[in-house]
Amino acid sequence: MTGKQKKQFWNALQVILILTAAFIMLIPIIWIFLAAFKTHVDVYQLKVFFTPTIENFGTVFESPYHLGDKLYNSTVVAGVTVLFAIPIATCAAYSFSRFSLTGEMTMLVMILATQFVPAVVIILPFFVMFRDIGLLDTRLGLILINLAIVMPFAIWMIKGFIDGIPIETEEAAMVDGSTRIQVILNIVLPMAAPGLFTAGIFCFILAWNEFLFALILTNKDAVTLPIGLALFKAEEGDLWNLLSAAGIIIMAPMFVLALIIRKHFVQGMTMGAVR
Amino acid sequence: MRDKSLKYVLVLPAVFVVFATAIWPLVESLRLSFTVGRLNRPNFPQEYLGFENYAWAFLEEPAFWNSVQVTAIYTLVTVVLTTVLALGLALLLSPGGRLRSTVQTLLILPFAMSPALIGVSFRFMFNPEFGLFDAFFSFVFPPLAHISWLSDPTLAFAVVVMADVWGWIPFLTLVLIGGLASVPRDTIEAAQVDGASGWRVFKDVTLPQLMPVLAVVIILKTIFSLKTFDQIYMLTNGGPGTATQTLSHYIYFSGLKYGQIGYSASVAWLMVIPMIFLTYLYAKHMFRKG
Repeated sequence: MTGKQKKQFWNALQVILILTAAFIMLIPIIWIFLAAFKTHVDVYQLKVFFTPTIENFGTVFESPYHLGDKLYNSTVVAGVTVLFAIPIATCAAYSFSRFSLTGEMTMLVMILATQFVPAVVIILPFFVMFRDIGLLDTRLGLILINLAIVMPFAIWMIKGFIDGIPIETEEAAMVDGSTRIQVILNIVLPMAAPGLFTAGIFCFILAWNEFLFALILTNKDAVTLPIGLALFKAEEGDLWNLLSAAGIIIMAPMFVLALIIRKHFVQGMTMGAVR
Repeated sequence: MRDKSLKYVLVLPAVFVVFATAIWPLVESLRLSFTVGRLNRPNFPQEYLGFENYAWAFLEEPAFWNSVQVTAIYTLVTVVLTTVLALGLALLLSPGGRLRSTVQTLLILPFAMSPALIGVSFRFMFNPEFGLFDAFFSFVFPPLAHISWLSDPTLAFAVVVMADVWGWIPFLTLVLIGGLASVPRDTIEAAQVDGASGWRVFKDVTLPQLMPVLAVVIILKTIFSLKTFDQIYMLTNGGPGTATQTLSHYIYFSGLKYGQIGYSASVAWLMVIPMIFLTYLYAKHMFRKG
């Protein structure tokens, strides 16, 4: 082979590898997507070509599945968790970003470290406490404990965004007689708004996909979507067409949100360790 | 309010939340681990046992050692496979261009999927009668058809590993692409001009420069592998038998299914110790750069 042929061969090989990788990445998603539009019979006959039906998306909302209740619970739990987390995290992130605090490094490392504590360790005492004070199977209980998951990410992400805002505008406003609170409300918040929005979406995805806490703390009233997946079992086995329809309802909104903030997804997960 | 006091007032709510949702449960778990802590008995909390729960785990429970072994192998295999494959994919995708950036965008999708749902989708694909894998093998290699993947201990373990690797490659790839972008192009070009082969350039120039990012990726993936619960619960529920029972799953079962909160808290704390070490490594890497 000449040098040019060799290069062409390499390029073709790379394209084939990339397409194969993309295919492997998408196949479980495509498989669920197809099954969600199949009838019960078509799922069991492994058809690739079939007459699509949207019946499954209706069935999952009906009795005995009532997926609508779980959808409501997931939305409220994830939404309220974010509404609590973002303002609290923003205050802390501003302080960490602009001032030097006694024990700042210790606090930041501690906040980072809490993310690595296995969820099963956190849930044991909370289960006992929630049982004693009657917070088992409530949305409130779930919201409180979801804060454990999202807070560290929210603080680190928002701190990153505020670090990126030049401090000069703030200083100029202070010289002109603004108070610190006015500076935060009138200058920092509008400039950090896109960052807060991004952090909010990121935390919403985390809370939405949360599984272990909801599995242990809920059983009827406060069941969220991922736990709701366990509903689609019958005596004869899993009802895959319904499971898949429920799967689409869980993942499709998250795909949209993740694509909106995709540029910040990686930074968010690594909490600034990788830029 | 003066900045001097305001700066502490601002961090107070966040510190309180982190304390209440992470530090308190850690300490309380440690306390529970020294008690009998059976859920079905009244007057919880119960009498103190000292280190009896720990001794029980170490000496009397083969199931504990089984879950330690499963977790160790699982972590080792998933970390190595995910890192190597993600590095390969990152090298393939990093040059840019339309095809490559489209695939990069698609990589976000598996990562936005709930791990529980990943477990469900793999259980679906590996169904022995109508799963996708079965269809694939009946077509290309019939002897492998109609195998009930999830009933065989070794195969079930392999499926659990596959699901994990599938779910984590996209994220690790995206992080590594970011890392590759910060490797200066001129050093690579200089090496190429000097006539170094592609492999030599990678080994002597790219890889050393990528080391800090690679270290972060490996530590992070190790932590997440050690914690794995959601997919396993949905995919095999630890089975067949206890072939895929990780530590998290074992703690969940002994604590909340069998109601032995005290005992499972002691196992949970045995799991926290390596986490503290890994977190220390992670924080060290992180702050060395800044």
